[in-house]
Amino acid sequence: MGQLRQWWRRKGWGLLLSALAIGAALGLRQTKGSLLVELYTRLTALARPAVDPEEVLRQAASRELQALIVELQHQNRELRRLLQLAQQGPPQVRIPAAVVGRSADHWWQQLTLDRGSQQGVKVGDVVVAPGGLIGRVEAVTPNSSRVLLISDPTSRVGVMLSRSRQMGILRGTGSQEAILDFFDKNPQVEVGDVVVTSGLSSLYPPGIVVGTVRAVNLDASPAPQATVELSAPLGFLEWALVYPYVQPAASQS
Amino acid sequence: MFNLRLPNLKPYLNWLVTVLSGLLAAVAPWWRGPGLELAGLTPDWPLIWVVCWSVRRKAWQGAVAGITLGFLQDALTNPYPTHALGLAVVGILAARLQKQRYVQEDFISIALIVFGMVVIAETLMALQWMWLSVFAPAGAGGEGLASSLAESTGPRSLESIWWNHQRNVLTSAILSSLWAPALYWPLNRWWQSQERELH
Repeated sequence: MGQLRQWWRRKGWGLLLSALAIGAALGLRQTKGSLLVELYTRLTALARPAVDPEEVLRQAASRELQALIVELQHQNRELRRLLQLAQQGPPQVRIPAAVVGRSADHWWQQLTLDRGSQQGVKVGDVVVAPGGLIGRVEAVTPNSSRVLLISDPTSRVGVMLSRSRQMGILRGTGSQEAILDFFDKNPQVEVGDVVVTSGLSSLYPPGIVVGTVRAVNLDASPAPQATVELSAPLGFLEWALVYPYVQPAASQS
Repeated sequence: MFNLRLPNLKPYLNWLVTVLSGLLAAVAPWWRGPGLELAGLTPDWPLIWVVCWSVRRKAWQGAVAGITLGFLQDALTNPYPTHALGLAVVGILAARLQKQRYVQEDFISIALIVFGMVVIAETLMALQWMWLSVFAPAGAGGEGLASSLAESTGPRSLESIWWNHQRNVLTSAILSSLWAPALYWPLNRWWQSQERELH
């Protein structure tokens, strides 16, 4: 009896815990781990917010509309004040195109569209998607075209703030955010300002929505900077509109 | 009649498969399928192909494959800076590695080699970008803000080069090395079966 108790004191706990562990594992095995799966699903449910690309696109499109309203209101006020109509060119043909490929390496931010010179796309055409401006056509083949996105770090777009008409140059950073360098040393800029292409840009028609200001850094050197969130969801794009754009003769100096 | 012709076609078939797989590897980054994308990046298929090709061949063969695929990639993106330099170095190094028998040839070592080669290739790209951003604008830029408004492109900032480099090295190296066996296994089997038939 004493021997048994001694044996139990030495090995009892280990035996008990092992049996418990094996028993629990066996139970899980018999139920095909349903408890674990349930637990994991419940626990990680919080970390998995449902992202619906369509919803994102819809939100981006509505943001673009809101921004457009701001821009149009401002233009309207300006026009009334000047009592003269701006000459809007004849309504342009737009070419809808599907996105068939993305950048072929990790350094360039590019898209390949399935419309080319046979459909009327030319180098230098402006490309717009739900949300606003996305880039320029930089190469064309008979049935495809390559677009350099405005998020590419080598891309430069002349832009202005819709509210205060402050001008600057937007350069990409390879992500959904871009950097806006102001010309003015003391620009009137606030978080939430809408950024549109400027009238001075010779490569883009004025007034296309680009994004909204997310952060402002007035101490940046050499010129004040703002971080702009691009309004078109560049990672989700499935189609785009190509606008043939003829540079105004005045700016070709 | 078929039996007579078939042996003559065999060497061409080998080259056809090699060329087609290389072309596929060059255009593969366009395609973003499930599991292929991590933080917006895809596996570096051209680099994986060059490593697969080079590990069982001579250094000059690796260099030729690297330059060829590098030029293909230039064609699909932009020729400056060139991808050929990085891929050529990768081809030579991969061939050398195998020769000295430091690593045995299997999936895990291929994944490791690809991991290291991505780091080397991306660093060479970053250095080229730096070279361009330091020396290119001497003629074109520098005119101030008015000229930069008319320009559609400008040099990269140093900050963006090294940010991009860091992102590529971390993300792409992991993704590429995980996907490397998927390309290595069929290619290697094919090339080995061809070699066996020759001898």
